[in-house]
Formats: sequence, structure tokens, C-alpha cells
Amino acid sequence: MIHFKQAEIGYKNPLLKVTDLTLEAGNVYALVGRNGSGKSTFLRTITGQTTLLAGEISINSVSIKNANAIDKSKTIAFVESKFDGIDFLTVANYLALGRAPYTNTLGRLNQADWDFVNQVANEIGIETFLQKETLSLSDGERQLCAIARAIVQETPVLLLDEPSAFLDYANKQILVDKLLQIASEKQKCIVFSTHDLDLCIENKIEFIALKNKSLQKASGLSKLELISLLETKS
Amino acid sequence: MIETQRINWFLVVSLLIFPLIAYFHLTVGQQEISLTDFKNAIFAYDSTNTAQLLAKEFRFPRLIMACVAGAGLSLAGMLMQTLFNNPLAGPYVLGINSGASLMVAISLLTGIQFFGTNLGLISSALIGAFAAGMLMMTVVGFLKSQVSLLLVGLMFGSFTSAIVSFLEISSKAEQLKSFTLWSMGSLQNVLLEQIPLILLLFVIGIILSALIVKPLNLLVLGENAASLLGIKIQQTRIIILIITALFTGLITAFCGPIAFVGLAVPNITRILLKTQNHFYLIAGNLLIGSAFLVLCDILIQVVESEIQLPINVLTSLIGAPFVIFVLIRKMK
Repeated sequence: MIHFKQAEIGYKNPLLKVTDLTLEAGNVYALVGRNGSGKSTFLRTITGQTTLLAGEISINSVSIKNANAIDKSKTIAFVESKFDGIDFLTVANYLALGRAPYTNTLGRLNQADWDFVNQVANEIGIETFLQKETLSLSDGERQLCAIARAIVQETPVLLLDEPSAFLDYANKQILVDKLLQIASEKQKCIVFSTHDLDLCIENKIEFIALKNKSLQKASGLSKLELISLLETKS
Repeated sequence: MIETQRINWFLVVSLLIFPLIAYFHLTVGQQEISLTDFKNAIFAYDSTNTAQLLAKEFRFPRLIMACVAGAGLSLAGMLMQTLFNNPLAGPYVLGINSGASLMVAISLLTGIQFFGTNLGLISSALIGAFAAGMLMMTVVGFLKSQVSLLLVGLMFGSFTSAIVSFLEISSKAEQLKSFTLWSMGSLQNVLLEQIPLILLLFVIGIILSALIVKPLNLLVLGENAASLLGIKIQQTRIIILIITALFTGLITAFCGPIAFVGLAVPNITRILLKTQNHFYLIAGNLLIGSAFLVLCDILIQVVESEIQLPINVLTSLIGAPFVIFVLIRKMK
């Protein structure tokens, strides 16, 4: 699915080097690392907002360098750590914006598009507040909406930047449940950065650990082992 | 779907009310003109009839100018608010007006021949508006807070008005007079033969806006999110800059600076239509913007015999408190 080869990632100066890594469809990966270890830069490099310094990143064998804006928007969906809501924008219309890569110049959705929006809302469990305004929701509800918006975009890759940072414990669990459900049902490759180690260990999520300017997959570790892994100095 | 119906109803009702406001605007004024005179002025014009002459040469151009100015400034304000993701943005507060005013001042006060003609006045206002817009778009990249953009705009405004004051001091009496008259702002300065050009530029601006409805709808999510949904941000910015400069430059050249319409009307429109769909917001801003300025101009003409109220003074009286209202609503 997503393949990294000798990829140097960073903002002007390389922050980390990914020699060889493949992320598979149908899996959820938790991206962990200390503050400043390059989690956000890692995600932003995949989306193309930060330029890849050297090496290669490809999605389904297509290099991200060769993809244009529309191709990219049909391949990668991105969820920010917080969606604050927008004046006078209903949940339904917010989700509808996710269809943008598929609509014409005027951005009108056809019946099939709307059906898909409703279907996703049902799957995520937000169908009851489709007509509510995004500003009137709680942080947890809004985060689910943001994820639903990204799923409406119908991409094989879903990236989330600290999606659990502003959620209470119950909502964190709901978020992880939804991510696991989406990954297996829709065969998406999901990567999310997080500091909630317990949450990921309990749910048996595979880790991608960033440390010492390099990156490694880790699973089946205890919290203590994981923390000591992240703490090691070079 | 219920939302769409409600907005359609709103737009239809305003479209029905609008001709009434427009007719009221035509009839208000010292000389009374009958409906037949207005009809004749269009269909069977007799230039020896004073009423018809007044209607054709003064009342119609003034009404059209009020509509164009109100609608154009509101649309420009809406575009800037969406682009900068900031309900406080507008052509006046961001100094686009100031850029246009500065160039007009330079052309009127220094008396360079090329700038003396009418077309010269428009082009210098357009250049000034465009340059100020470019400056703002560059500056916005360095700013984090919504309010600081406003401060930069106001500082730019003070800076240009300082230059204008300097030019005023060093200019000749004749030039100073024509500039002062212009800077008071009036909807009556426009001549009948200038109307086709104004309408042409106005329609071009509206068509350009309609073409970027989709990017506008997505920009509401922020530039980052919009670009990840396939929007070409740089291209959209340039189109918005062109439309805003076109409207602001055109209107400033003919009517003088008009404050706050471009800030207040887009906010009022959003509150009334309760939508973020820019297809409806464009229609709403055009309607509410022109109705707003036509109503302002009616008020000006009603009190005309008592006091001479420049349009800019009236819109500031209404608009400035409105900015504070939006600020309070936003910051609480």
C-alpha cells in the first residue's frame, strides 16, 4: 500500500530517515514518538504538504511526487487533531464537502453522492445529527464528523494527526473502535499519531515508533518496554 | 434539502421587495417625477422634458451606481472573508480601498496628464486596489491571529492617508478641490455614458465569482484542508484578488471611498441565509448589498435639504458598531 524507500523526511533539514517500510491496507498504525520527533512532518510528507527531501514514497506503486492535486485528493484523506466547527455549516453539508474530488466545477453532489454521505453517517453513528450545525456539537461528536468527512472522500489511505488529543476517555475508545472497524471493512490503510499508549496497547494496535531519527514497527510490547524504546538516546 | 427551500424562498421574497426599494429610491429627491416620466425616459425619451431629463441623466445612473457599489463591495468582502477565513475582513478594513484612494490621490493631485481622463482614474484606482491586495496577501502569510490582519490593514490605511495628506498640502487649489469632492464620496458622480462600462466590469466580476463557487465552499475548511481536497489554492487566491481589486477599484474610482459595506453585508447575509454554500451567498450578497446601499442613499436624499451627508459617513455610522458586534460575537 504505502511504501517508503530511503525516504528522508524533514523541514529543510532531515528529521528522520525511513530506509524501508511498507504499510498495508486493512491495518491501523499508531505513530508514536516524543514531541518534536517528527510525527506531524511524517504525515505531512505523505500528503505532500511538506516536500520529501530525498528517496521515495509510493502509494499503490505510484510515487507521490508524480501525483497531481486531484489524484492525491482521491488517494489520501487527512484529519486534523481538532475540528472547531464552522458557523452555519450543518454536519450534512460538512460531510458533503468530502465529495469534492468527485464533483464538477460547481461542486454539486448527485443522488449517489448524497446516498454515500448518508451511508457513511450511519456507519460512523452520526446520522441523528446530520441536520445539526457543526458548532453546536461536542468535541467528541465533531471529531467523529471529521473522520466521517474523511471517509466520504473515499480514499485508500486515511491519515490522522493526534485525533484523540482533545477527547475524553470514552470518546478515545469510540474513536479507536471506529478506526479499526473502517480499516477492516473498507480495507483502508490508516495511520494516526498519538500519545495515548495505553489505549493502543489495549486495542492491540501496531505501533510505528519514531526515535533517533529513524523509525521502526513495534507490536506486542508492554507500555514500559515501549516507553523505554521511545526514551533511548542515541 | 429543507435548507435549500428556505434560502430559495428568502431570495425570491427579496427579489420581489427589491423593485419597491428601487422605485422608492428613484422617486425620492427634490423634484417629483411620475411613473410615466420614468417610463418615457426609457422608452420614449424627450430631452426637452425636465422630469424625463432628470430621470435619465441623474436618477437612473444614481440608482444603478448604488446597486453596483453595494453589491460589488459586499461580494468583494465575502470573497476576502472566505479567503482569509476571517469575518472581519473586507475591502475597507484591509486597506484595498486605501490603495485605490492613494492612486486616485496621486493622479488627481499631481495632475499627470495620463491620469486626468476618466478611464485614467479607473485604471489608477484598479492598480492601487490590486497592489494593496497583493500586499495584504503577502502579509497574511506571516500572521497568526485574525485580529492582527485587521491591524495591518488599518495601519496601511493610516500610512496611505498620511501620504495623501502630504500630497494635499503640496497640491494646487484647483486639484485639491476636485480631490476633496471625490473623497467625500457620492453616488451621483457617475455619468450616463459611463454606465455600460461599469455594468460590463460588474458582470465580469460576478461571472468570475460564480466560477469559483466550489473552491470557496472548500476554503471554509481552511486553506490546508481545501488543498488536500484537490483545490488549487494559488490559482483561487489570484482569481479572488482580481475580483476584489476590480470591484473595489471600480467603485472607489466612481463613488469615492465607501466604508464597512463590504464588511457588514457578508456577515448579515450569512446570518440571514444560515448557509456556507457560496452559490447562495453570492446571490444573497448581491441582493442584500445593493438593497442596503440603495436604502442608505434614500436616507441621504431624505435628509438632503437639512444636512449634506456623504455616503461614507453614513455607512461608517452603521458599519463601525457592527464590527464591534461581530468581534464580541466571535471572541466570547
